[in-house]
Amino acid sequence: MFQTIITYFIVLMAVGYLVKKFFLPRSLFSANKGSKKACGQDDCGCS
Amino acid sequence: MSKQINVALIGNPNTGKTSVFNQLTGLKQKVGNYPGITVEKKEGICKLPRGLKAHILDLPGTYSLNTTSLDESVAVELLLNKNDKDHPDVAVVISDVENLKRNLLLFTQIKDLNIPTILVINMSDRMSRKGITIDIPLLEEKLNTKIALMSTRKGLGLDRLKELIAEYGTIKAEKSLDISVIEPEYFQKLKKTFPKEDLYKLWLVITQDVNFMPVEKKRINEDASFSIKTKSELKRLQQKETILRYQYINGVLKETYKVDTAAAKGFRASLDRILTHKVFGYLIFFMILLLIFQAIYSWSELPMDFIDELFASASEWIKNTLPPGMLTDLLAEGILAGIGGVVIFIPQIAFLFFFISLLEESGYMSRVVFLMDRVMKPFGLSGKSVVPLISGTACAIPAIMATRTIESWKERLITILVTPFTTCSARLPIYLIIIALIIPEGTFLGLGYKPLTLMLLYLIGFGAAILSAMVLNKILQIRSRQFFVIEMPNYKLPLGKNVAYTVWEKTKSFVLGAGKIILAISIVLWFLGSNGFSEDFHKADEIVAERIETQGLTRYNQENLATTLANYKSSLNDSVSAGIYNISEKAITDSVRVKEELLFQNALHQEIASHKLENSYIGLMGKAIEPVVRPLGYDWKIGIAVLTSFAAREVFVGTLATIYSVGSDEEETIKNRMAAEINPATGKPLFNLASGISLLLFYAFAMQCMSTLAIVKRETNTWKWPALQLVFMSAFAYIIALVAYQFLK
Repeated sequence: MFQTIITYFIVLMAVGYLVKKFFLPRSLFSANKGSKKACGQDDCGCS
Repeated sequence: MSKQINVALIGNPNTGKTSVFNQLTGLKQKVGNYPGITVEKKEGICKLPRGLKAHILDLPGTYSLNTTSLDESVAVELLLNKNDKDHPDVAVVISDVENLKRNLLLFTQIKDLNIPTILVINMSDRMSRKGITIDIPLLEEKLNTKIALMSTRKGLGLDRLKELIAEYGTIKAEKSLDISVIEPEYFQKLKKTFPKEDLYKLWLVITQDVNFMPVEKKRINEDASFSIKTKSELKRLQQKETILRYQYINGVLKETYKVDTAAAKGFRASLDRILTHKVFGYLIFFMILLLIFQAIYSWSELPMDFIDELFASASEWIKNTLPPGMLTDLLAEGILAGIGGVVIFIPQIAFLFFFISLLEESGYMSRVVFLMDRVMKPFGLSGKSVVPLISGTACAIPAIMATRTIESWKERLITILVTPFTTCSARLPIYLIIIALIIPEGTFLGLGYKPLTLMLLYLIGFGAAILSAMVLNKILQIRSRQFFVIEMPNYKLPLGKNVAYTVWEKTKSFVLGAGKIILAISIVLWFLGSNGFSEDFHKADEIVAERIETQGLTRYNQENLATTLANYKSSLNDSVSAGIYNISEKAITDSVRVKEELLFQNALHQEIASHKLENSYIGLMGKAIEPVVRPLGYDWKIGIAVLTSFAAREVFVGTLATIYSVGSDEEETIKNRMAAEINPATGKPLFNLASGISLLLFYAFAMQCMSTLAIVKRETNTWKWPALQLVFMSAFAYIIALVAYQFLK
């Protein structure tokens, strides 16, 4: 029983990690949201 | 509280800025003996004398403040924007003792922004060898600054630099030159229109290609009283400014800087002639590549086998030691199998980065870039695209960021789109394991077939990149041709410390970066492979036992059992004949019967485990995608590995290791598990030449990396390009793998 509970907990942690890594936007976990980035006038692909 | 001084480190590419940064801050940013290492600003804290502290910013290398590319604009933006929290109180210009004249151009420009500026003359350890003498006090007086003579390589001059930063208030923030003399009338009008603004700052804002301060530029353009010059007129004025600055620098250096020209030539020039020769240069590079791949294979075989055995033993130990249960199975079959799939490749990854680091540190990599420029030109790319393509052998992410040094947006976009074709370290585990399974031992001209195959795969990746670039060049119709200028650094004996650090960092980032994902995926896969909802899964024991009773074991297991038993019986008889054993005929028959029962039980257990796996959650998912991968020669297990490795290629081996170990009693090495896999349709090994080549080609071309897609989105600011990249690369990989399998099967 003890082994089963621990195993399910580990599996849930693994699923949570993968969801966070690949499916949730990074901005949700980043403290520095407003980083100022240099932007080219017509040559940087931002248009 | 002590005051924190903002310090900006700035200088030409490859002058050792990052080394100075590392020594000041104690941080360990990557350094290399080729230009373009820093493409974003990096920061750290430095303790100064008298309790002062400095916030140090390492800015991307730039030759002047007349920027043309995105990475260079980072430096100019910071120096001009006084409202930026990182705007420097003092700028430290790093120069190279051998290229002081060129480096001083940037120094004079920064000084003209009225920022207190310290000059660091780095690589001073080469002065005596190159016959260089500098009158430092006189140079300080002429340039109206303070100078620190440093050698980051020998660890000299750091205290002097810290002292100068702490005393930056004593350095006069005076201009070097009055640039208005290049066209007095124009600059008078400019001053009249914006009386409160600094003239040189205004001039820089007007002339920048990169619009880092849109508000200021708009204000200048919209002011009716000021006539705007055309782009070509501005370029002409910039040239006049550069000539004026060099006249000033020449005058200063004439009195302070002496070079014994006889000593300056010699070994380097001769070596460059050979290494960049249009025939020998390529031959030497090709030979070096061959040696590297041969060494990667030969040197890592022993540690790789050791790690593989270690994980197999650890798994067995866990099963025998811990009480039976779900957690024990998870540890032995899921976690250890998955982690083993990454750790086993540490020796090869470490050796690969060891050689790359030697090439970078020695200065040879810049020669390779120069050589490749010739190859790239017919395909519409300049040598600037070579740096990202070569860095892509480590990882596509920093390589794509390195494209910021490319001025032309279209050329940069093409480089971003084709860089993921370069063989990155994540592909290496897949290549190594498949090559080990399908390519026979043997040599050609003293070089093993396996290293040769590996090198061929690297060349295929590079070839795919430049051919795709050619196609994209036609589609996107690039008109602008860039001239490629690269700094040829001096040859250096690689520093053991730097090489060791690079190997450590790269290997660590491979193991930890991919390791976390692989661990999580292994756990989830183990769970999905060990559980199911159908009756077929839960009653697997009864179903398989009933099937065996009526139909017997599968054909493969029957043949395998018969062969093993025959070998056992023959071996016993041989031992009796040779007098090793002295046992009766009846004892032999009994022993064979016991062995047969044991083998049957093993086969039964394996068939139950296989039936369970096929009807588990992962089995049902695998079966659903099997029709898509079957034409490529893959079964549903490989299909699942291809699917999970969409997140990161490294996951492929870990996934197969986990799937193959679920329910398995025998703790075998990863390689043996894969080699033992049988294609039920043919009864032959699943990993054969046809399916193996198909897999190798699939991974050579497929875009199996979510992080790369995310970085392409970030660099292009749209999902359009990464989506196109994903669709094109995946479709191309599928078609090539399909053709290869159908042709070879």
